[in-house]
Amino acid sequence: MIIFRILRLLLPAVIPSWRFFDVIAPSPRIQFTLLQSKDESSCESREWHEFRPRPVRLSFLQMLGRMLWNPERNESLFLVSCAERILQQPTEHSENEILKRIAAELRADNFNSTTTATYLQFRLLLVQRKNAQLCQEVVFRSRIQPLPMQDTM
Amino acid sequence: MNFDDAIRLTEILLGFAFAQQSIEHFKSFTNERRLFIPRFILAVLLVIGFQTAWVAVLLLLLGLTLLYRFQGPYNGGADRMSLLILFCLCLVYFSPTQRWQEIAFGYLALQLVFSYFFSGWVKIVNPEWRNGRALCDVFQFSVYPASESLRQWSKSPRILFVMAWGVMMFELVFPLLLLSHISLIVALIIAASFHFANACLFGLNRFFWIWIAAYPSILWFQLRFISTV
Repeated sequence: MIIFRILRLLLPAVIPSWRFFDVIAPSPRIQFTLLQSKDESSCESREWHEFRPRPVRLSFLQMLGRMLWNPERNESLFLVSCAERILQQPTEHSENEILKRIAAELRADNFNSTTTATYLQFRLLLVQRKNAQLCQEVVFRSRIQPLPMQDTM
Repeated sequence: MNFDDAIRLTEILLGFAFAQQSIEHFKSFTNERRLFIPRFILAVLLVIGFQTAWVAVLLLLLGLTLLYRFQGPYNGGADRMSLLILFCLCLVYFSPTQRWQEIAFGYLALQLVFSYFFSGWVKIVNPEWRNGRALCDVFQFSVYPASESLRQWSKSPRILFVMAWGVMMFELVFPLLLLSHISLIVALIIAASFHFANACLFGLNRFFWIWIAAYPSILWFQLRFISTV
């Protein structure tokens, strides 16, 4: 079964379709919230934070540096893939990947409400253009994940 | 460029690209480090030319493990190109005759041509690419711009229209540029500049290094099959 699954994943690499940027599809954004209790999840006034917002500006020197060292950006692109997979067909793997990377980043950055929060949840916002207007809608809410989260998944 | 030189240069460039990718995971989760530290060591062995056939097989197996671990490519097209190059190199090493070796390496060269041509084709058949709207969308709301200030580019539709047509035309005429060695070298310099721009604007640094690793195959292919016609 695993071999069959791996071969199914390998096939698009050996016989690629090369359809880069063929359609500019609606774009997912990851937002997270920290909760003190599970009951809080029903509260609509919760504060949602964008996960890893992109920098306001990058100098050419910073861009050059990122040619060799760009782990955060590449991880963010992987999380976009996970978000897209969730929208196509939700899997526990993609949800876990997003949750554990948010949890790890919060721990590393010592995010201000992490110390008291005991639960984490993320949601996916889909941004798209309808005629000339940009619109966004919430299309997915993750499970409520107790903190701290194991990083060895 | 003869066949052996092209293979050796591919090994060096691929090893460098894999080493760069692997280092980016050194500060990641424990179970990822367990996969990427061996990958880094194998990449260095590939660069120095130590037992390259078996190193490539191990890298391919590790690549399959990573596909399973991440339930798909970690970095989309860059990972797919990585596996394609490795797959073709393994076929070259274990092919029984020179003819089959050339077919395997030639397949990589053809896929490189397709990677440009079909990317251009799928764009030009889309009216939103033809009128420049698609590239505006990339800058306006897609996840790709590496900084918020780059989103301002969506307010220059005329420039983006010209850029969109420039990219599409280059991608579509790429196969014709194989007709002479000089035009191919110019085309590869333009293509590498295009990947460099994508790396700067969209943070797609891995595409730059891995696509360059496939260039020796097309340089050899052109000399071997096209310039002799």
